[in-house]
Amino acid sequence: MPREAEISVNERAFIQQALQEQIRLDGRAFDAFRPLELTFGDEYGVADVQLGKTRVIARISVDVTTPLPERKFDGVFQIITEFSPMASPAFEVGRPTDAEVILSRILEKAIRRSNALDTESLCIIAGLKCFALRADVHIIDHDGGLIDASCIAVMAALQHFRRPDVLVEGEKATVLSVREREPIPLSILHQPLCVTFSYFEEVDIFLVDANFAEEQVRQGEVIVTMNRHGEVCQVAKYGGATVNPLALLNCTNIALQKVKEMSKFIQMKLDEDAKRRNVGGLLAELSAENDR
Amino acid sequence: MAPEALLSHLHRADGSATYTHNGYCIIGAVNGPIEVQRRDELPEEATVEVNVRPAAGVGSPKERHLETLLHNTLRSIILTRVIPRTLVQITLQVRSLPDEEGAAGVHPSLLLLPHLLHTSLLALLSASIPLSTTLTSVLIAIPSSPTSKSGAPLVSPTATDLLRAKPIRSVHVFAFSGDNRLLLNESDGVFSFDVWDEACETAEEACCREEGGVGLVGEGMEVDGKESANLEEWLRVVVRRKVEHEQRWKVAT
Amino acid sequence: MAASAIVVLPGDKIPQDALPKPMNKKKALTLGPGLRHIPPTTIATTIAGALVTDNKKNAAWIEFNSGRYLPTAGDLVIATINTSTGENFNCFLTPNTPAATLPHLAFEGATRKTRPQLVPNSLVYARIASAGKDSSPELTCVDPSTGKSEGLGPLKGGMVFKISLGMARRLLAGSKGGVTILEALGEKVGFEITVGRNGMLHVDGGNVKTTLAVGRAVQEVDEQALGAKGQKKLAERVLKSL
Repeated sequence: MPREAEISVNERAFIQQALQEQIRLDGRAFDAFRPLELTFGDEYGVADVQLGKTRVIARISVDVTTPLPERKFDGVFQIITEFSPMASPAFEVGRPTDAEVILSRILEKAIRRSNALDTESLCIIAGLKCFALRADVHIIDHDGGLIDASCIAVMAALQHFRRPDVLVEGEKATVLSVREREPIPLSILHQPLCVTFSYFEEVDIFLVDANFAEEQVRQGEVIVTMNRHGEVCQVAKYGGATVNPLALLNCTNIALQKVKEMSKFIQMKLDEDAKRRNVGGLLAELSAENDR
Repeated sequence: MAPEALLSHLHRADGSATYTHNGYCIIGAVNGPIEVQRRDELPEEATVEVNVRPAAGVGSPKERHLETLLHNTLRSIILTRVIPRTLVQITLQVRSLPDEEGAAGVHPSLLLLPHLLHTSLLALLSASIPLSTTLTSVLIAIPSSPTSKSGAPLVSPTATDLLRAKPIRSVHVFAFSGDNRLLLNESDGVFSFDVWDEACETAEEACCREEGGVGLVGEGMEVDGKESANLEEWLRVVVRRKVEHEQRWKVAT
Repeated sequence: MAASAIVVLPGDKIPQDALPKPMNKKKALTLGPGLRHIPPTTIATTIAGALVTDNKKNAAWIEFNSGRYLPTAGDLVIATINTSTGENFNCFLTPNTPAATLPHLAFEGATRKTRPQLVPNSLVYARIASAGKDSSPELTCVDPSTGKSEGLGPLKGGMVFKISLGMARRLLAGSKGGVTILEALGEKVGFEITVGRNGMLHVDGGNVKTTLAVGRAVQEVDEQALGAKGQKKLAERVLKSL
């Protein structure tokens, strides 16, 4: 079974020594994210996030199915994360690593359980027809910080996505294609984002957005998910090190500030994209008129 | 429109390429030669593993079918005997598809196949895996038009082209090696041998027909902007750019 | 070396006139990486890159700077110890490749009673004694003729920086490689570097700041392909920050 290569003892010692001297390898501050880049494709609901060298693409797709019998008034929403050997040869298809399980659990808790998406709005006819929404998270390049990057990607893609409109006449529902009617955005209740803190026990330091090398050296991690209103959606801690409860409070404060910045950034990118699309949209409509 | 290619842009994989053409965008990564699992180890050859990952959803039989086609084609150009008992792992992630893809009524996996082949070749070049030759691939669509001449073949049509030319009678995917041998031939639809023959000719022209024996491309090649350039010349331009990028320190000040 | 290199694709046949013209007719033609001989007389390429020829050595090879490191006998590498067996250490040259063996006795002054004790994931500077497609590579830390280490052996302290394979070759090529940053930095600060052909650079500057500055400077020269002027500027900037 392929395994991720471990970091050498020299690097481990050096990273710790540097942290003791308050230095990070790439010269960042302890609470600084790497440069974040977010791009949208031509299609709706595809978000390409680059966080330093880490790159994640999230794609939203939609289908029509029957709702679950115990949840007649709700649509279906799934988040699928599957690592591929593209990000690291240690990732094997069909055999999830611990990191993969943790990522999908966190996204599940952070986005799905926190009701970021109003699933009731995905219902077409109660108990008969509903939309099934799925978010596929593709890890393209892996240099740490997968959880934070994936969460940004999924949330941005959800906000960018437009689902087709439906026409309901009694028991009959018709899904209208993009040509027939302008697709509509999803109803999103709030925007949770994750901030991962890597904990180093010896020096008692929390790092925001650790890169791959730092992730390998850390003794613990605390993942805080919250929205820009300061509502904490979930807190998870992994790794053996014991963390001071008061330090957790400090983490949530930093997380709030980071989440606010990131939300603003996502909104700015969404606005830019909308502006770009609107120009094309108007022109396209006009030309269609002229053809006739 | 020549395809766009970006090479060696991923940090973890040994070789990578992003390929964009006609609304298709595919990211390819190659790891290798790496350690192979005991059960897959071949004593005298390298094991080739191809993973095709769809844009949405997990792999289905359609992807498995594409993987088999790619595997067999790529195996024939990778010098597997030079790197025995190792693994060459090729991962292809479909990033985006043209919107109209489903509407044209053509087998979608055939439409995807030439793009997947090109992406994997570029990623293999980027990973410097030993190859016996290169490959180029093209899709030919034969529209059915009972009235006029039996429909002029469409060479690597866009999704909109296909939609406009509907109904399509048959589609063919051909792949040729650098020395003009046919590596892969997949067809779908109703067609006669003559039609296939003509399609094959057209494909060869688009892929690798040379105008006046270009052996090693010299300095005077200017194909960046020209429309008439065939796919092999396109490949040379891509590689030239890669080499220039790698050697730019020699000319830097 | 030709200035405008001939760009080749895998499968290209090298014409006779592109091959090196040996000054000494008796010397056999040597084919380096990326070239293969198909009997009787065809020389074909296997990778994409630039064709380079050397008339003096009557050698030809393909220059490229991408992909995974392939072990070649005689190369100096930085290996990572994985496990220790009865007689050997199993080491990695690059992650996820078959392990290379380093005999316990292949260190300077090592005997059956005084074997080096190396914990997993420690680093060793070693020379590849043998490598072939049919066997796993074997490493050594002594010069077999003198029994001395000649600078090889366990690497203590410092930090490892990843560099491209081409950069590693340039650093080892001396003045031909065109890397001047190290001399420029070395005038003001003291440090020790070790270059592994497998794309690893070990820097020990005595303290965290110097080590990081040197390592990152080399990485920057690599990534941005800085020329002589660019490197000079970078060196000034780095020295100022120290």
